[in-house]
Amino acid sequence: MSILSEFKYVFQMQFLRSAGFLVFMALIQILISIGIVIGFTYLIPTPDKQSILFLATGAPTIILIFTGLVILPQQVGTSKSDGYMEFMRTWPVKRSTILGADTSIWLLITIPGIVVASVVAHLMFSPGYDVSWTVVPALLMIALTSIGVGYGFSYLLSPTTSLALSQVIVFGALMFSPVNFPMDRLPEWLQAVHEILPIYSMAEVMRASLAASTFDASMGNYINLLIWCVLGYGGAIFILNRK
Amino acid sequence: MVLDVKNVTKNFRGKGKTNVIANDNITFHINEGEIFGLLGQNGAGKTTLVNQIVGLITPDHGEINLLGKSVKEYPERARSICSVQPQSQVPLGFLTPRQAVSIMGKMRAGKNYDPKRLDMLFESLGMGEWADKEGEKLSGGARRLAAFCMAVIVPGQLVILDEPTNDVDPVRRRYLWEVIRNLTKVGTSVILVTHNVLEAEKAVDRVAIVHKGKIVKQGTPSEIKSSVNNQMRMELNVNKTEKLVVPEWALTSHQNGMRWIFQVESSHVSSAIEWASGEVNMGNVVDYSLSPTTIEDAYIELTSNKVVVSS
Repeated sequence: MSILSEFKYVFQMQFLRSAGFLVFMALIQILISIGIVIGFTYLIPTPDKQSILFLATGAPTIILIFTGLVILPQQVGTSKSDGYMEFMRTWPVKRSTILGADTSIWLLITIPGIVVASVVAHLMFSPGYDVSWTVVPALLMIALTSIGVGYGFSYLLSPTTSLALSQVIVFGALMFSPVNFPMDRLPEWLQAVHEILPIYSMAEVMRASLAASTFDASMGNYINLLIWCVLGYGGAIFILNRK
Repeated sequence: MVLDVKNVTKNFRGKGKTNVIANDNITFHINEGEIFGLLGQNGAGKTTLVNQIVGLITPDHGEINLLGKSVKEYPERARSICSVQPQSQVPLGFLTPRQAVSIMGKMRAGKNYDPKRLDMLFESLGMGEWADKEGEKLSGGARRLAAFCMAVIVPGQLVILDEPTNDVDPVRRRYLWEVIRNLTKVGTSVILVTHNVLEAEKAVDRVAIVHKGKIVKQGTPSEIKSSVNNQMRMELNVNKTEKLVVPEWALTSHQNGMRWIFQVESSHVSSAIEWASGEVNMGNVVDYSLSPTTIEDAYIELTSNKVVVSS
């Protein structure tokens, strides 16, 4: 059977199995992303364009982090506990096909949230979007890194540990990561940590593609994402093939 | 020969530095069109063995060959030769049994998938009422049957069924055994993993009894039974459990609620009948029967040297 057919059937199985949940998650993400764009402006007494642009270009990154590093690990944890993961490993298909199909599904459910949040932000605040052609590869790269890292740690760690880690990540990404505000507001030690972790690079790459005339992403950001992406998927494939 | 398992040993690291031997030097083979039973208590090492056959884990020692080729070297080939119904329930989520089974069929057969087989399977197993209900809303038995259908919709040359009848009602169990028997008519071999010994006796061609990671006996059900030859089985239903004193001639005794089973040497049959009649007259025993040894008796004797009392 061709890889494409394999992919089609695995995708069908995984998508239909979680269909109701995925629709629900896509709706939740729309709400969260709008919440970030609008709700966070209440924290700032007189938000200027720069602050709103930070929020508007940060929301898509938060959605991708939330999907890859929070919802996905929780789902993987459940699959591990209820035996579905072990069942998938008996399927007559390549392990990478399963990972590819799952990645596509996770990617798909992030799109409505990102699009709706960006449109709402534009209509309400006109924060100064300047969308570059790099938005598609940037979004893919950030999504793959986030999903890859999510797979990596949720396959490697026990369901309980990965659940705990995902809770720390969602809190850390929202409050202590330079996604919705500039890096220089953080203490130096946390800045150093974010130079290594992928969250800052995700935010920088996303910003540079959504507001190309205001923000730049460095080559270092892209390399950082690439390394984390390879590490994440590498770890996931290693665990799937582990005997 | 479909499957050849030679001297397979698998250890797991337990708590601390302890070593748990899940499989200890296991050797057996399965022929084409044969139903092979793997019987054993919980934790005997049956599922570990099955996972090695499908290539999910690798043996520490020994070799497993499927249709002449090593599973270790060709794990993906092993997964296409074997179709598996896992021991745990398959969480179908929002998938209906019809969707789950047909997608699995297409995943195995591609364009050669025949949707008529799905209808035939669902009809044989009386699954019509559940076919289009979401998996989440199905009972345990219906989900178990759906997982069974996923394994046999396009059966590999070796179908592995791990406790397929758990949660399934008695009527559909019979249908299920029929479907399994029909699989072998087209040359499919079946490994049946179970601890439901009596049921397996009727279904399997050959059987291996696994105990503490080792195969303690293998052969046809009659060969297994012959290991406790010249023995009879006395089954009694009692009034009150505490009143019954196990007689001296009972080789083993097995209690299950108000039901007792004794193993009896043929030479002691008359004393056993005499004793049982006396107990009936005294009102301690409601009724009794004598029959030849079943595979369950052999199984209990082979896997336990002491009197077994379960409730």
